[in-house]
Amino acid sequence: MTGLRPGASVVGIGQTEFSKAAGRSETQLAAEAITAALADAGLSVSDVDGLVSYTIDPVEETELVRALGIPEVGWSSRVPYGGGGSQGVPLHAAAAVVAGVADVVVGYRAIKARSGPRFGAADVVRRPTSSHSGSTASQWCSPFGVITPASWFSFNCTRYMHEYGVTSADFGRAVVQLRDYAATNPNAHFYGKPITLDDHQSSRWIAEPAIRLFDCCQETDGAVALVVTAPDRARDTPAPVSIAAGAGAAMFEEEVASNHYRPDLAVLDSSVALGRRLFGASGVTRADIDVALIYDAFTPILFMQLEALGFCEPGAAKDFVADGNLGPAGSLPCNTNGGLIGEGYIHGLNLTIEAVRQLRGSAVNQIAGARTALVSASRTGVILQSLQGSP
Amino acid sequence: MCPNCQSLAWETRELTGHGVVYSYSILHHPRHPAFDYPLVAVLVDLDEGVRLVSDLVGVEPADVAIGMRVQVRYAETAGDLAVPVFERAEPLA
Repeated sequence: MTGLRPGASVVGIGQTEFSKAAGRSETQLAAEAITAALADAGLSVSDVDGLVSYTIDPVEETELVRALGIPEVGWSSRVPYGGGGSQGVPLHAAAAVVAGVADVVVGYRAIKARSGPRFGAADVVRRPTSSHSGSTASQWCSPFGVITPASWFSFNCTRYMHEYGVTSADFGRAVVQLRDYAATNPNAHFYGKPITLDDHQSSRWIAEPAIRLFDCCQETDGAVALVVTAPDRARDTPAPVSIAAGAGAAMFEEEVASNHYRPDLAVLDSSVALGRRLFGASGVTRADIDVALIYDAFTPILFMQLEALGFCEPGAAKDFVADGNLGPAGSLPCNTNGGLIGEGYIHGLNLTIEAVRQLRGSAVNQIAGARTALVSASRTGVILQSLQGSP
Repeated sequence: MCPNCQSLAWETRELTGHGVVYSYSILHHPRHPAFDYPLVAVLVDLDEGVRLVSDLVGVEPADVAIGMRVQVRYAETAGDLAVPVFERAEPLA
């Protein structure tokens, strides 16, 4: 199978603060995160010649490049359909660098998901027109009150629970771990606020029987950015991390608002394919993964990815989680920043920069000796590897 | 276009309106003024093989279950339109 050719590295990461009210435009947030990432890499805006973000990102490139003062963008792209596509950002950036069409690509996501339009609000999409964000599919859901990401995905979750005998308390055990990680992450929404399983079980229903309030990611204001470049430039940067594998799978077939029609909704077919593409081509094995960052917009999608990616058997995620495998001493330390549930929801791209921190040895909840990190967003993913000795 | 054979030939066909609950979700939050909560949303596998997103009406949330037999009825909605919703199927005689 064809795989992403080696050669691209993440050389810089940056972010704004994560908050409930950023008080400034998404364009400014993006510009701040990008300048921070370039400074981290020891590069300047004049080095940048490529840009990649999400189709749903509100920042206009025309304004962004003028605000930053980038003199010559030679390549750009946007990745479709929300957070499941989030790891398409490093994938596209790496593909551009490896193909030689850009030297220094900046990937970014700027969002005001708390003070601006909230994903979880009762807004009905009035236009059956696509912004490559699921709005076309909404016309089949909105007339029935299925109007939020939680409600769209909850059908899949209920079926998953039914097939494998999974309970809300099973999900709660994962949330307790995520909140433990967040509790020691000053950057996290839930810094200093760990919870018990009872707290999870008494949080109110959003979409019963699968999703309680504490199963939901935290709508957040903020921006993150990363800088990707080729080996000759990466060599001169302070802390490069190799993009060892990158892939997308079923990028359209499993768009969340329309993912109701596959024969078996208890399995994320996209993540099965993603695992095959990531591990098959790269030579990296599942046992090589020292830390995993797995898209957790809602707790059940974390369980379903653990199974589909091959870290445990179908239906066994509840036991895998209950046995403590996601914790710092487990076999697969997972979402060490607290995840999207504990740290915040920069639409999945904050997981990527946490993976880079782990491989640099600079994470708040550092996993000792982490050399290889997986970032999975169910339909897109990357494997990152340390280029230097053990941190 | 048919995704199995790429044919553009198609026709409309009247269905029985009977099916089975493939999955469901009892929606509590957020609350949109057009709906009554908790709202029992369902995925229905129609007997002819089509799956629909819809709502289950006339059934207590605690009573909804995967595998429940359901049948269509039409609920008035905005304008002169109606949408297909489902109720528990009458037991077969």
